[in-house]
Amino acid sequence: MERLETEVLIIGGGVLGAAVARELSRYKTDVMLVEKEADFGWGSTKANMCIVCQGGDALEFRPEYLRSKLVWESIPLMEPLCQELDVPFERVGELALIRNNEEFAKFQKLKSRAEKIGLPPHEFIDRDTLRRMEPNVTREAIGALLDPNIAIVDPVRLTFGLIENAAQNGVKVRRETELLNIFQRTDSFEVETSQGRIQCRFIVNASGTSTARVARLLKADDFVLYPIRGFVSILDKNLRGLIQHEIHTRPEAPGQMNIITPSVHGNIFFGTTMQLAPQGDTSTTRRVMEIALKNVRRIIPDISEKDIIHSFSGFLMFRNWELGWHECVVQASRKVPRLINVCMGYPGVSAAPSTGKKVVELLQQEGLRLEKNPTFDPFRKAPLVFSKLSEAQQREWIEKDPRYGHVVCRCETVTEGEIVEAIRRGATTLDGVKFRTRAGMGRCQGGFCSPRVMKILAGELNLPEEKITKKGRDSRLLLYKSKELIEVQP
Amino acid sequence: MRLSEIDIAVIGSGPAGMAAAIKAKEEGAERVLIFERQEQLGGLLHQCIHNGFGLFYFGQDLTGPEYGRRFVEKIKDLGIEVLLETMVTHISPDRELMAINKREGPIGLKPKSIVLAMGCRERTRGQLRIPGTRPAGIFTAGTAQRFVNVEGFIPGKRVVILGSGDIGLIMARRLTLEGAEVKAVVEILPYVGGLIRNEVQCLHDFHIPLLLEHTVTQIHGEERIEAVTIAKVDQDKNPIPSTEQIIECDTMLLSVGLIPENELSKMAGVELDPLTGGPVVDEQRETSVAGIFAGGNVVHVHDLVDHVSWEAEIAGTWAARYAKRETFEKKPRLTLRPGRNIRSIVPQIISGQDDTSLYIRVKELKEGVQLKVGEIYSQKLRIVKPSEMIKVTLSKNQLEPLVGKTNELIIRCEKAGKHE
Repeated sequence: MERLETEVLIIGGGVLGAAVARELSRYKTDVMLVEKEADFGWGSTKANMCIVCQGGDALEFRPEYLRSKLVWESIPLMEPLCQELDVPFERVGELALIRNNEEFAKFQKLKSRAEKIGLPPHEFIDRDTLRRMEPNVTREAIGALLDPNIAIVDPVRLTFGLIENAAQNGVKVRRETELLNIFQRTDSFEVETSQGRIQCRFIVNASGTSTARVARLLKADDFVLYPIRGFVSILDKNLRGLIQHEIHTRPEAPGQMNIITPSVHGNIFFGTTMQLAPQGDTSTTRRVMEIALKNVRRIIPDISEKDIIHSFSGFLMFRNWELGWHECVVQASRKVPRLINVCMGYPGVSAAPSTGKKVVELLQQEGLRLEKNPTFDPFRKAPLVFSKLSEAQQREWIEKDPRYGHVVCRCETVTEGEIVEAIRRGATTLDGVKFRTRAGMGRCQGGFCSPRVMKILAGELNLPEEKITKKGRDSRLLLYKSKELIEVQP
Repeated sequence: MRLSEIDIAVIGSGPAGMAAAIKAKEEGAERVLIFERQEQLGGLLHQCIHNGFGLFYFGQDLTGPEYGRRFVEKIKDLGIEVLLETMVTHISPDRELMAINKREGPIGLKPKSIVLAMGCRERTRGQLRIPGTRPAGIFTAGTAQRFVNVEGFIPGKRVVILGSGDIGLIMARRLTLEGAEVKAVVEILPYVGGLIRNEVQCLHDFHIPLLLEHTVTQIHGEERIEAVTIAKVDQDKNPIPSTEQIIECDTMLLSVGLIPENELSKMAGVELDPLTGGPVVDEQRETSVAGIFAGGNVVHVHDLVDHVSWEAEIAGTWAARYAKRETFEKKPRLTLRPGRNIRSIVPQIISGQDDTSLYIRVKELKEGVQLKVGEIYSQKLRIVKPSEMIKVTLSKNQLEPLVGKTNELIIRCEKAGKHE
């Protein structure tokens, strides 16, 4: 086992850990980020509605909370960040449906509040305008509150972008490195991981749903986080254009969010229902599926369950379940010096740009000395998306590398060249390739391409095919070779 | 390859595409070009190493690869052109076709006619919305078939199969022969989805438990699937909670239906029939877009490969005639509409000027019924099942008197003896 040393250790490669890593890479200091999964962004970051929220739509964003501040401060940062990292960002706008006068009164309050905070202006639109903007929306709606600034992103790609840019600027990143224990020394920490020991002076605990558990290892859990499970369904790309904006209603029941949104890749997502659930159990349930479908039909009545291609659940961490949204955990531990705990709960993605900066400040207050990294390069080039190229460009690329002429995923038109590039950039699993290239994310859900992607993975990684996993650890896809299960007759 | 002079482009080289291309060439088309995305001709035939292919078409019991080879040889003999490892990415309503491969890069051409023969794909777990975790070890039956028969891997050794479509039944037997234990085939309907011969030869002969009116209600296991919860369902197919039981397994296969693959058809503006999931076609298998024909599972999912090839031959024949401008003016036509207990009918539109075969699927299993086509045809059937397609051939003499007098014909399946 190796023994490693670093000045700052970031635990967790979700969007927040990645944002911290990238922010720290602006300075000359040793930074290491460890992630327990086989790839980055596979926790709450992945199980996401992909909306960049502005904290204007919910009364829970009180100005005195740091959480609100981090979201608001991120608003002007997100688009330039996405440009620097070459990841998708689309300003689709948001429509909050108004179905009766009572709701109108509530939205009036929200609108004036948003204006008081100084958020980009919201606007009421009438029934006819709404119908022109969104012809498929429910007849129940008498109008809507439009926030034209709401945007959508791909949180996992954003995370890859942050990580790759951080690594480019000197941050060391390690995957499949699970935290086992932390020992506090006089001036440092000794961190025991599944891949050996790491000695560090500062810890940024950005371990998402595990934030409290990790803090507890140092008896520094001076906060409580409640795991709240959300649910999302993805619709077939054929429905592209069904909606133009992110659209939501007032909660259909206490805690029952109801949102539908386009995604940057053309599919439509809808989701609902926050429920307290056993931590780590991301299973979906029939009940929530039905509630989500019933609710979303109150926005777009024509949605059919036949158009759903995939559904998933994931966790948000609440500081206070009883009172709804509350404060986040982005703070130096009061009990242990040089430990920063970072958990936004919701909205992690939207708050990531400013949270990265905030954590750097907190580290400095804890004694981290930072000197500007003169070679810091904020730009990262995203891998090629072959289907987006012009015919002439496609021809050029195929001449350079014929593997770009081999379409492996038919639903999303992903080529062998793109899959090889994803592996070169660090994908080691079927899901790793999927989240980087979209191979397997289409309507056949990998039925056609997964045997082919596995072959490419095996070839590039120089592994036998039966060692290839879906998502690391014990998620091997093929357990036996042909004839292996048949007893050999003597 | 000078692509500007292609007469007929055939998309796909499974049992439909190959048959269509051969027929088009035999009909006198000069240059027929097949696009196939895989490394060899044959579509999915090469992974179907079981027998039962060609009983009607060749009068012989062949395996999938054997059935395919006969067509492949003919394709070579006739000088039909082939582009392998080539994905067609776009077809426009005026028949401009875009494809891509490693050698030529992006390819554009405008053939005189096109035959759609893309076949079908399998329904997935996501579409069924089976609740639970999302571990490794859940495959569609066809993907598992490829792993076992082509790649040489066995996905796991304790298997639950959800759905009793033909590929699922075939894979139950195949995995058993490979030493895996198929713990159950779970079917939500009160009867098997696949052919009787597969039920008998693949399940009963191997003592594989078949649980009718059951479904999987939850998937367990974080990394690899560890178990499924199954339950009996009531008449409305809702699980009955008190009947839930857990079956441990390391693999789950899905054989829950096939969907005609029509993404290209949609791009071309071809009208689709929501009942079949495939294009609306006439008896020449021409779609709503002039010069674009379709045959095989892209039109509607067949039970037998023989019918796939036969149907595609119709498309190939007329695509060739269209390319030669021999096609006749389309006169007022008859639309076939499903009545009682009829799910779908192909073709959906007929001219009534030729002998015409109709392929009909019923909605529900019924015994002792009378199948009627308008008032011109009636046939007693002992049993009808959704899994078994019914073929009805109407003669020109029966149809011609209707042309111009009516524009639709209702097909229905009623209890026998009602009106006799």
